[in-house]
Amino acid sequence: MQMEETLNTAWEEPSNDISNDERPMSIRKISKASIVMNATLLFLAIVSIYAFFTFDYKNVNLIEAFSSTFYNLKIVFLEPHLKHFSVHETIWQLIVTLGLTVLTTLIGSVIALFFGLFAAQNLSTKLASNIIKAVVAFIRAVPTVLWVLIFAVAAGLGSVAAVIGITFHTIGYLIKAFSESFEELDKGVIEALKGSGANWWQIVFQAVIPSCASYLISWTFLRFEINFTYAILMGAAAGAGGIGFDLYMAGGHYFDLREVGFITYIILAVALVLEVISTRMKVKLSGFD
Amino acid sequence: MPLLEIKNLTKKYNADTLALSDVNLTINEGEFVSVIGPSGAGKSTLLRCINRMIEASSGYILFDGVNVSTLSKNELRNLRTKIGMIFQHYNLVDRLSVIENILHGRLGYKNTFEGIFGIYNEEEKKSAFKIIEILGLKEQVYKRCDQLSGGQKQRVGIGRALIQKPRLMLCDEPIASLDPNASKIIMDHLRNISSKMGITCLVNLHQVNVALKYSDRIIGINSSKVVFDGAPSEMTSDIVYSIYGSEAEELDIDIGGRNAS
Repeated sequence: MQMEETLNTAWEEPSNDISNDERPMSIRKISKASIVMNATLLFLAIVSIYAFFTFDYKNVNLIEAFSSTFYNLKIVFLEPHLKHFSVHETIWQLIVTLGLTVLTTLIGSVIALFFGLFAAQNLSTKLASNIIKAVVAFIRAVPTVLWVLIFAVAAGLGSVAAVIGITFHTIGYLIKAFSESFEELDKGVIEALKGSGANWWQIVFQAVIPSCASYLISWTFLRFEINFTYAILMGAAAGAGGIGFDLYMAGGHYFDLREVGFITYIILAVALVLEVISTRMKVKLSGFD
Repeated sequence: MPLLEIKNLTKKYNADTLALSDVNLTINEGEFVSVIGPSGAGKSTLLRCINRMIEASSGYILFDGVNVSTLSKNELRNLRTKIGMIFQHYNLVDRLSVIENILHGRLGYKNTFEGIFGIYNEEEKKSAFKIIEILGLKEQVYKRCDQLSGGQKQRVGIGRALIQKPRLMLCDEPIASLDPNASKIIMDHLRNISSKMGITCLVNLHQVNVALKYSDRIIGINSSKVVFDGAPSEMTSDIVYSIYGSEAEELDIDIGGRNAS
């Protein structure tokens, strides 16, 4: 009780509405947001429980279903083999997919670099920057697959539509990433070169790009990894060829799970190699060389 | 003939904030001039108006007989090559080497193509190495600038300005982020630039005692107006008080043995 007394004397005006309240004290403030949040969670929980009771299970035996799923996974990942394609052929298709990836990333990043400069508010006018950013937001809002299908109308389903479509989305993605990297640049550096009489292009190539190089490269490489995924997907979805098409044929036509497993492993291996390269690159770029 | 003449220079950022009001200054070739005053008095604005990094609202500036405020884009670029500038935060490209940063001072003399690809001729490279030697950065030539200490970075900043072969150096608080030892090195270099190379120096300073020690002339600015313009020997504690206002009491500034408080 002594503590309470000292508290009361220290603050002169004891807050009797809180300390003398009989109700249990709460350490969390109840706000409108927390009420809405809890109500939503409760609602979702009730709906989920209700759904599980009312699903149409047909005659599926849950245990049987689980065991056959694991059986299939076992076939895919533990017994991989090649039957309809040779190793040689598969590797070649892998190169085709990597080719799609390199092409889309390369073209996309070069175009994005230039538009990124004009989209950065510290290097461009407000009008140009806003226009580019609005267009780019629209390009990014439409998924890559949809862009490929849109371009397929003009170019026909195949690798051309895939390259154009993936490149298009890459440009949108990288312009945003690049321009934001440029905007983070210390404005003093630009001021210093401007003050010595350098012009815009000189400042861009001598100060802006060297300063942002590590960001630019790591963004481009991240997009490279994303484009690798899309290149596989487009092989199946848009007939662009490559390892994705083989995967689609093995799974959808030959129903050969073992072959699907083999191709999956190859793709996984490439993805791992890409990851290792990007990690090393980041260390090298950010550290002292 | 004076190198720099500033007449009725006024700068308003908006209706309420007046950065400079009716500033008149004449600076002669080879002078070492310090500009002192409290933060926000307009020192930086004054410096930046000279090479038009900030556009003045009214009044005019004559640099070597040329009216700065009416120059076209190309003429302005040309003018800026003759005015070197160094900054409190050095403003170097951290990822490039010392020599690359110093050579950036030549960009103003180059066409766009040469500038983009960083093509410098032998003469420029030679003078860059000479400047590096003068500034005592010989061992850091190929080091990246983010590996340098503050004092070394500022020396690179001076080098970048020197290679422009400027007639005027604008120094915006060159020692505000440096320790006393590095500050002394930088101020000694600036003093040498002025007395040995004959380059006019206009230096914004926070430290009154440094200004007293190094300058030929001191300009005091308080709330956008020039309140003192004279030799260091004319400086008295009353004048310091008029420049810094009530802040001066806490400054405890040493003017040749006397205390300003």
